[in-house]
Amino acid sequence: MGRKLTPRMLLPLLLTFMIVLSACTSGKGNEGAQPPGPTNTQNQTEGENKPKEEGLYSIEDFSNVKTNEGEPIKGGSITYGLVSDTPFEGILNYNFSSGAPDAAVLGWFDESLLAWDKNYVFTNDGAATYEVSEDGRTFTFTIRDNVNWHDGKPVTAEDWEFAHEVITHKDYDGPRYGSDFTNIEGVLEYREGKADKISGIKVLSDKKLQITYIKSTPSLLTGSIWTYPLAKHIFGDMEIAKMSSSSAVREKPIGFGPFKVESIVPGESVVYTKNADYWRGEPNLDKVVLKVINPTTVVQQLKSGGVDLVDSFPIDQFPDNANMSNVEYLGVIDRAYTYIGFKLGKWDEENKVVAPDPNAKMADVNLRRAMWHAVDNDQVGKRFYHGLRWNATTLIPPSHPEFHDASNPGIAYDVEKANQILDEAGYKKNGEFRTKPDGSELVINFLSMTGGDIAEPLARYYVQSWNAIGLNVNLELVEFNTFYDRIGNNGKDDPNVDVYQGAWTVGIDVDPAGLYGRDALYNFSRYASEENDRLLAEGVSEKAFDVATRKAIYKEWQQFMIEEVPVFPTLYRSEIVPVNKRILNYAIGDGTGIYLYELAVTQDKPFVAE
Amino acid sequence: MDKASRLVEDEVYEPSASPSSWQILWREIKRDKLALASLIFLGIVVAAVYGVSLILDQKQIVTVDLFALYQPPSSKFWLGTDYGGRDVFGQLIIGTRNSLSIGIIVTVLTGVIGILAGLISGYFGGTVDNVAMRVVDFFMILPTLMIVIAFVAAVPKYSVVSFSLIMTAFLWMGIARLIRSKTLQERELEYVKASRTLGSSHLKIMFTQVLPNLSSIIIVTMTLNLAANIGLESGLSFLGFGFPESTPSLGTLVSYARNPQTLEFRWWIWLPASLLILVLMLSINNVGQALKRATDARQRRG
Amino acid sequence: MWKTILRRLLIMIPQIILLSVLVFILAKSLPGDALTGMLDPSVDPSMLQEQREKLGLNNPWHIQYWDWITKAVQGDFGQSFRFKMPVMDLIGQRINNTIWLSLVTLVLTYLIAIPLGIISGRYHDTWGDRIITGYTYLGFAAPLFIFALLMLWIFGFHFQMFPTGGSVAPGLAPGTFDYMVSKIYHLLLPALSMALITTVSTVQYLRSEIIDIKQKDFVLLARAKGASESRVYTHHILRNSLLPIAAFFGFEITGLIGGTVFIEYIFSYPGMGQLFLNSILIRDFSVVTALVLLYGIASILGSLISDIILGIVDPRIRIK
Repeated sequence: MGRKLTPRMLLPLLLTFMIVLSACTSGKGNEGAQPPGPTNTQNQTEGENKPKEEGLYSIEDFSNVKTNEGEPIKGGSITYGLVSDTPFEGILNYNFSSGAPDAAVLGWFDESLLAWDKNYVFTNDGAATYEVSEDGRTFTFTIRDNVNWHDGKPVTAEDWEFAHEVITHKDYDGPRYGSDFTNIEGVLEYREGKADKISGIKVLSDKKLQITYIKSTPSLLTGSIWTYPLAKHIFGDMEIAKMSSSSAVREKPIGFGPFKVESIVPGESVVYTKNADYWRGEPNLDKVVLKVINPTTVVQQLKSGGVDLVDSFPIDQFPDNANMSNVEYLGVIDRAYTYIGFKLGKWDEENKVVAPDPNAKMADVNLRRAMWHAVDNDQVGKRFYHGLRWNATTLIPPSHPEFHDASNPGIAYDVEKANQILDEAGYKKNGEFRTKPDGSELVINFLSMTGGDIAEPLARYYVQSWNAIGLNVNLELVEFNTFYDRIGNNGKDDPNVDVYQGAWTVGIDVDPAGLYGRDALYNFSRYASEENDRLLAEGVSEKAFDVATRKAIYKEWQQFMIEEVPVFPTLYRSEIVPVNKRILNYAIGDGTGIYLYELAVTQDKPFVAE
Repeated sequence: MDKASRLVEDEVYEPSASPSSWQILWREIKRDKLALASLIFLGIVVAAVYGVSLILDQKQIVTVDLFALYQPPSSKFWLGTDYGGRDVFGQLIIGTRNSLSIGIIVTVLTGVIGILAGLISGYFGGTVDNVAMRVVDFFMILPTLMIVIAFVAAVPKYSVVSFSLIMTAFLWMGIARLIRSKTLQERELEYVKASRTLGSSHLKIMFTQVLPNLSSIIIVTMTLNLAANIGLESGLSFLGFGFPESTPSLGTLVSYARNPQTLEFRWWIWLPASLLILVLMLSINNVGQALKRATDARQRRG
Repeated sequence: MWKTILRRLLIMIPQIILLSVLVFILAKSLPGDALTGMLDPSVDPSMLQEQREKLGLNNPWHIQYWDWITKAVQGDFGQSFRFKMPVMDLIGQRINNTIWLSLVTLVLTYLIAIPLGIISGRYHDTWGDRIITGYTYLGFAAPLFIFALLMLWIFGFHFQMFPTGGSVAPGLAPGTFDYMVSKIYHLLLPALSMALITTVSTVQYLRSEIIDIKQKDFVLLARAKGASESRVYTHHILRNSLLPIAAFFGFEITGLIGGTVFIEYIFSYPGMGQLFLNSILIRDFSVVTALVLLYGIASILGSLISDIILGIVDPRIRIK
């Protein structure tokens, strides 16, 4: 999961709901609206979402594809709700944008040149096709002839090259530059000004581009290729530093997707009209209106038909509205997990590597394992999230069905076992709480984020669970910015933090090195070991191009992390999205083969709840 | 939020020169039935809240119970439970105590600072007064709400103490200005001059002679300020910039109503707190207004 | 008069400078910066460092302040890091919404206050007066946010009479009639919620003012001369009691500033208050500093306006 790991940010203002401050939606974020769709082997069960137990649901009962009932009418217009209590930033170009809300706006009018399947592997079904050379380092891309920008100009190989040149330029102020680009031959020379062009990128013809990467890894096929061109005929004469604030990004954004932007009320709404010239074919709908709706009003808007679709839906509002008569709920497993991390060292700023400290308070693996045994995440998922989040077992979530090891049970809730482990490891009870094996006092500081209805009781629940096995745990709740500052976002770890609760949205590529590698700043637990290094390296080595081999490597890694417990996953998540019943041909998730241009409606007006 | 204090400043007070102003105020209150009822109600609430919170097992109240989320009111949970399975009634008691306490602390702190600043500035006049009033002027023009929010976000180890200090820092000016103008008038009076010629020290005159003469105004202002401060605290907590999240407060309970599910189906979480804030502020205001009318009336008469 | 106004204006300058320093230091001491939210392993951390350097986030504060203030006096508050656009443009989008909200609130405030105050003062100690006084008591005590929340629920959600978020319906072209109507429709409920609360002090003031004046000699004289009751009210009492109300106008502005933050938050109305809260959360310093400064200047101007009006209306009150 190399790319696109984003912290789940819980804004204190969002009392009912959470959003992802997606630092990076780079390759292919934006489920929801994006054509290259869905994922996840889910059995489709029709009809009512009946809870098994009172108030409990399971993601397995949801389909990620809308059932089509009725005949489409010609044209029509729909309203799409962007559920957020902040306005969208309005940086409407994949090359510069970073926020998840913007990605939802972008998904309607622009798209990736390459499409991908449900395992997130690039396919040849998109606006461009690709071929890989023998050694796996050189890619040749061919953009289809009928792929044109909204202004009618063709999307060219030069546009694609230009995107690379802008992002890797030192004046670029967006969030995209990183290992994906430094892996291209000649990028460093270009960035330092030693070369005018990136030597690894060659424009072979109007529609043909060739990129040579330094290292061939299986990650290249799952998102490490930059697939968003930048219209050179518009941006070509602009200063790079001024591009992201230009009107071509903010006011009159351009793309080559199924719809084009007609008007924008900044931060609030966007009106799209169909792009009749869309390369897959003329879209069914005439018009799409996107508007930001507050999580507090989303149910009302859905019931009244004020919106047909939404990008996300607050889970806590689902049980009360599970039987809303005018919508069908779609569900998909989220590419994310929540976890508890243990501080095992510091960040070595000089060498840019983690520096594990064998004397850290949490250095004893028995203590960490006991703490995992002590928490009942099954019940947490059921009670707090109605079963729509559930006990996590390994560090690769089931959103990656190929690599998630479903046979691995993780570590089960077992208070007796936890006590036994601690007893055997020498943590003796001295009154209410246990001491360290050497007899000194053991006080563990637990840092968690505020925000969201559930954040506070959930953190408190964990503290209670640890108290119950005799561990003296102090809870400190801080807001998002302070939280990441203190667990070492800038390399300066707060030594007073021993345990923390965080969450990651994982990228479409499964490689976990960006989170658990020795040189990863975001390896907040500061855990490193040679075995871990070996497994992570093997996972992206050439032999890992063979999926079965790669699976075996990551299976081993998942088990290894369960034995070492530098962090432990707590919950997997699902995404539930209601869709008005008049909508046809819609799906969420990746690799569904259902595209936005096919989207249609069965009647002029949305169904209204009874 | 600070309309109460504003109105008080706008009034131009005449000197009230009775040392037994406590008794006079009490007599006036007794005469005003509404104010008396409010005062009794307040007394009961305060006694109940502080009394019950002594008995209540506070640890029990903040204990998360996974199997009792969102329980409606019952004999076990008088006001049901919240999203953490915690007793709302207990939180309401503790929240009221916390909100009252911080209201009182901030009122007293602002009172002390304001009175000191006002007394010194008004009594000595001249340069001291000039400097002090420029400082007050500066604080007065600050957009208080924004600055307090920014400060709350800026403090690294945020706690109840830092919260009350932040509020104090931006709320002491009203009373300072009022006391100053009163002191200015007061010091021109004969008794001050007489005292001075008799060789009394400035300190003595300020605190044993001028201050007691201002006591009824101080009581009135502080009462109204108390209501305003509780309002501000609950407002800030509502926005998420008040009490730390783990500390129950009335504003936090109300803020749960931002969740439409809670607003529509779980009235027991937010409605009691809202009503309590309303009634509390109404009562405190009633008492304060009655006192104010009393002092005003006395001035007119006298 | 002109001399005192001039003096007031001169006093404002150091006030604003002091305010700007305070605001700036405050913004700098907020934990984290605009780059904190960018946790992305595919982004090179050294690139973030470079960006901090480029944005001048690593300079000592007084240099950063000087950079900022010299540009600020020319109206350039820098770029919003989050929205990637000049802060002034960003605020410009929102300031209109907030100004409209404030204006409509002010109009409603006076529309409610004047008749209620007159009825209450003219027929004081009647049932009508008691009901109005009761309302002012309640309104005085009710915190704005609780009242607004209830209004939103009752009229926005339950009866669905008003929209519950946004400032205008999407898809309408600015300048058209429909656009204006939609705008007003969107801000009616928030403005009304705020006006019903802010109006009470004016009602109370007007009431006591009328009661006061109607006992005054010149009124009694006019009445004795046989002027009709309505003529006495329009010509004598109202003229005298409405002028001081005008003087409160400036204070109303100051009061509105705090109020709009709550109102915009509750009604999801995209104005400056909402922008402020969001910017604090995402550490968009340049926006926070500019906003607090603007709010500060607005309240300075508010009190200046009040003092000037007060000085014109009532020459006895000299501007200090």
